[in-house]
Amino acid sequence: MDIIFNNIYDQMPKIFKEHTIDMRECSWCDPWVIGMICLKSIEYKNFRDKNLILPKNKDILLYLKRMHFDIFMEELTYINFLDPLNKICINEKDNPGVHEIMHCNFRDEFNARLSSKIRKMFTGFGMSSDNEPLTTSLVGEMGNNVFDHNEGLWPTDVRGAIILAQHFPTKNKTEVVVADPGIGFLGSLKPSNPSLKDDSEAILLGLSGVSGRVGEKRGNGLKVMQDWTLNRFDGTVRIQSGGGLVVVDKNGKHTSSVGPILGTLVSFVVKYN
Amino acid sequence: MIIQLSKFNSVLNSRPSAKEAVLRIYQMVNGSVEKEKIILDFTGVEVLSPSYADELLQSLENKYGEEKIEIINTVPAIQETLRAVEIHG
Repeated sequence: MDIIFNNIYDQMPKIFKEHTIDMRECSWCDPWVIGMICLKSIEYKNFRDKNLILPKNKDILLYLKRMHFDIFMEELTYINFLDPLNKICINEKDNPGVHEIMHCNFRDEFNARLSSKIRKMFTGFGMSSDNEPLTTSLVGEMGNNVFDHNEGLWPTDVRGAIILAQHFPTKNKTEVVVADPGIGFLGSLKPSNPSLKDDSEAILLGLSGVSGRVGEKRGNGLKVMQDWTLNRFDGTVRIQSGGGLVVVDKNGKHTSSVGPILGTLVSFVVKYN
Repeated sequence: MIIQLSKFNSVLNSRPSAKEAVLRIYQMVNGSVEKEKIILDFTGVEVLSPSYADELLQSLENKYGEEKIEIINTVPAIQETLRAVEIHG
């Protein structure tokens, strides 16, 4: 079964159950779903009964291997569940449209990767010299937010920004996902906006350009990301934080309550010629 | 006074990095602003994030006044960020 953004919320009770991540029936998934699995694996990390069941399908196993999913999960102490991936040897050049998961624990690590690996990744995807710097600065903005809003407040013993990306060459589009196991929009904005009722409301406030903490005037980063993604790249922005989901596309903002995650998951899809 | 921003990095990202740059620029300017403009030269800068641009320009404009700041040698991607910060700032 393909598990992608459009059906992940229906499938959540089946895939994430009692500290088990069950991907056995999965035959395909998109970067959004991988980002969510990364956050769930952090949420379950310290439970003694945690479990990861990898897919049976060989194509998706190859895709996960190409993303270095095994290295990320090993870091999170899931080593006992990774046999199907450890048995696979791949040529790294087999799929240049998929980039490996980058887990940046600290801001400096993120900045260094932004200047080198992330730029090279977009150039490798075939982006023009006009689009690459803008897309890089969008990722920069997302990564900045992760560290600006969570330093000193990480809820678990795993910190940082998790970045993954996939290029769809036939559709001329790239999806970039930035995930973080942090306090989320509501956790960050509630102290300065006590009237906020839920996660979706906090995301909408952040998208409107109000994302400063107490005593801080700032917050145009998310607005610019929204503006460029929609108007320059004809794309889509998705943000899930806790149990709130907001999707912004050319038809407007769509809000829903969904199965909760730890932290925040942001993706933007950019289309270009 | 010309400030070569590429000496900070060719990828200018994050508010904390901009705060550090602003402190360095205060030190470099050190009183000379009374006689001359502060020219921010973007030659060699390839990526500029909106938060870096916002922090840099707001801090310098608040301290020295908007009329004292001039921006030169920007590529289209940098111009786009500066425009976005102006619109959304």
